[in-house]
Amino acid sequence: MALPFTNDIRTLRFLAGEMTQGDLGDRVGVTRQTIAAIEQGKYSPSLEVAFRIAHVFEKPLEAVFQWNDHKD
Amino acid sequence: MTFREKTHWVSLVVIATAFGWYFFRLHTALPRGPGNIAASGGLLAVVTIGIILAMSIIIGVIAARSPREAHAAADERERAIHWRGTHYAYYPIVIGVWLCIGMIFAGYSMPTLLNTLLAVVVLAEMVRIGVQLYLYRRDG
Repeated sequence: MALPFTNDIRTLRFLAGEMTQGDLGDRVGVTRQTIAAIEQGKYSPSLEVAFRIAHVFEKPLEAVFQWNDHKD
Repeated sequence: MTFREKTHWVSLVVIATAFGWYFFRLHTALPRGPGNIAASGGLLAVVTIGIILAMSIIIGVIAARSPREAHAAADERERAIHWRGTHYAYYPIVIGVWLCIGMIFAGYSMPTLLNTLLAVVVLAEMVRIGVQLYLYRRDG
């Protein structure tokens, strides 16, 4: 089932010097596979991990994750 | 494939092979009747030792080839996968326990009950590992 929100992690990784999923995972404290699953919308992260991802990119949470109004 | 997926595959194959052999031997080679419970116990001891040895050696080799992954703590997604696998394994256990209760009242022999209980545990374990492997693949 598709999640009711999307994310811009892939773009933000690219803009952050082509950061790899593994690098982001190391900085957030999760595996590369978990970052891949979040990116692809297959896994809904906890609020803590969502904030940690936003913190790595130095962005507010809503710049990383966007609620999709059509899936309310 | 990640370290955890590999270890799950190893567990699945080792358990299926070991208990497949156990139940095959039980059906074809062991005596019927009261003596069957001692023979089942002996065979079960051999199978248990075989499983522990095989899994220790194979998982040890896999861990030596990817030490970083092997020593990493499970993250939240992996813990969620673990919980869901355990949750689905609960159903065969409940059904199996009720089946065994029914078998006790129906007067089944001790060896039959023992091996039914064992089959239930093996089935639950395979459901747990199977669900976890499916979730690792689906989300990976």
